[in-house]
Amino acid sequence: MPLTLLTEAVVNGVLLGLVYALISVGLSLTLGVLGVVNMAHSAFVMLGSFFALELLLRLGAPPMLSVLAAAPLFFGVGMAVDRLLLRRTASTSEAMGLLVLFGLMLVLENGAILVWTTDTRVLPWQMGQMVLAMGGLRVSFGRLLAAGLALTMILVLDFLLRRTLLGKVVRAVGQNPDAAAVLGVDVTRISMVVVGAGVATAAMGGVAVAMMFPFAPQEHLRWLAWAFLLVIVGGLGRVRNTLVAGLLVGQLEALSGILLPFQYVYAVVYAFLAITLILRGRGLQAAQERTL
Amino acid sequence: MDVYGRSPEIRVVDVEAGYYPEQTVLQGVHLVARPGQLTALLGPNGSGKSTVLRVVYGLLRPRRGAVWVDGKDVSQVPAHQRVGLGMGYLPQGRSVFPSLTVEENLEVGTWTLLRVARRAALDRVYERYPALRAWRDRPAGILSGGQQRMVEIARMMVTDPRVILLDEPTAGLAPVAAQEVYEEVARLRREGRTVLLVDQNVRAAVSLADYVYTLAFGRNQLEGTREEFQQRMHAVVREWLRV
Repeated sequence: MPLTLLTEAVVNGVLLGLVYALISVGLSLTLGVLGVVNMAHSAFVMLGSFFALELLLRLGAPPMLSVLAAAPLFFGVGMAVDRLLLRRTASTSEAMGLLVLFGLMLVLENGAILVWTTDTRVLPWQMGQMVLAMGGLRVSFGRLLAAGLALTMILVLDFLLRRTLLGKVVRAVGQNPDAAAVLGVDVTRISMVVVGAGVATAAMGGVAVAMMFPFAPQEHLRWLAWAFLLVIVGGLGRVRNTLVAGLLVGQLEALSGILLPFQYVYAVVYAFLAITLILRGRGLQAAQERTL
Repeated sequence: MDVYGRSPEIRVVDVEAGYYPEQTVLQGVHLVARPGQLTALLGPNGSGKSTVLRVVYGLLRPRRGAVWVDGKDVSQVPAHQRVGLGMGYLPQGRSVFPSLTVEENLEVGTWTLLRVARRAALDRVYERYPALRAWRDRPAGILSGGQQRMVEIARMMVTDPRVILLDEPTAGLAPVAAQEVYEEVARLRREGRTVLLVDQNVRAAVSLADYVYTLAFGRNQLEGTREEFQQRMHAVVREWLRV
């Protein structure tokens, strides 16, 4: 096998992994801090992709600008989801919250189909079509930018969680919400911030996805599957672990893509998931522990 | 040493409360924790002592009756706003944030303070509890039970509360660590703070208290000064133990 092909696969694996990590980190945060399984997470990824498409078509805004616009907008949407839906189901069973979010996912998906139809789209962004050639290595400029964007967002989120008081309070709420409340933390407000951040990172991940892949309203569930996979491999609420898990899965996908027939790629990734769970010895329970 | 002119009084008036609609834990409890004094709340397991503290701190709303702090009815004030009223609460059991460092645990305690006051509050706590300096970068979860308890107490003290609720502060601790905690409780009382203490160790609690209440089956049973209670202590404990 030519070395260039292998190098290209490794580079592509890194780029893919960074975007997977960005898509997953919000799900990990929401689940890790609040114990909420946001079934609508991937629908917000999809909406992020269409948000980038609309801004590009209507205003000519490049995706890097769309990310800046998506962050506050979808943060607000996430806060509204928490206030209007999750808080109302907080005192009921976990299954009720799950169902409500599943319902929201269906509403968002079908609403998107009504607006954008089921056609598959690509971002008509010329800069993204460019290919950088270094020696024999060829890398899509769009992928490079998407990965850079993902890495930046992940590092910013990690910084916020580790270095700011708000981040420390969020981690504290994830570990012991009652103890945090006793210290004067309004847990319901922190919950709004966490869901807002989760939805915002999902939408920003959606912009990155649009820079890399074709997208359609009904095809978002694959991102939910990837996000769950990374959450299980990386553990809940751990931004750096999610990043490492994304890079691992990206490498596995890219390398098995050149070494094996395409239909085996997913089998390899899920075999990796199974091995991770077996090696941990405690299966899914290890991922469920809220160790932020 | 009295650090305050006058600490607030806690007054619990005819409180009825419970965790489930069909279950009433407290059935018309009354008590007064006098300003600057240590009031012990004692009783057998399941008598409702911890529930009283949860009601006083706003973690459980009373169905009937009221809680007054410093002359204001605070029954409907949510728990996260109690710090702003000058209150502090040490819950039963472990409550450190285990993967946060000791310093980060203390920082969470500064959440309600103005940004400019946070560093000074931490410095004051390190001065008060010098041992914490050595542990500041360690995850709180790896400390011993006694060390974790000191972190929890220090974290509560970040806001310098004038009213302090302590729920079994020595439960599960080794005797040496328990003794250190009792010394700290005595210091809080000497500083003129209003302390309401729930404890299973009747002898230790009574020796620290100015005034003692006992509960049984969610109702007031006995009350009196330390001296009055000490005379009846053996009989009361024998009754609780049914021996």
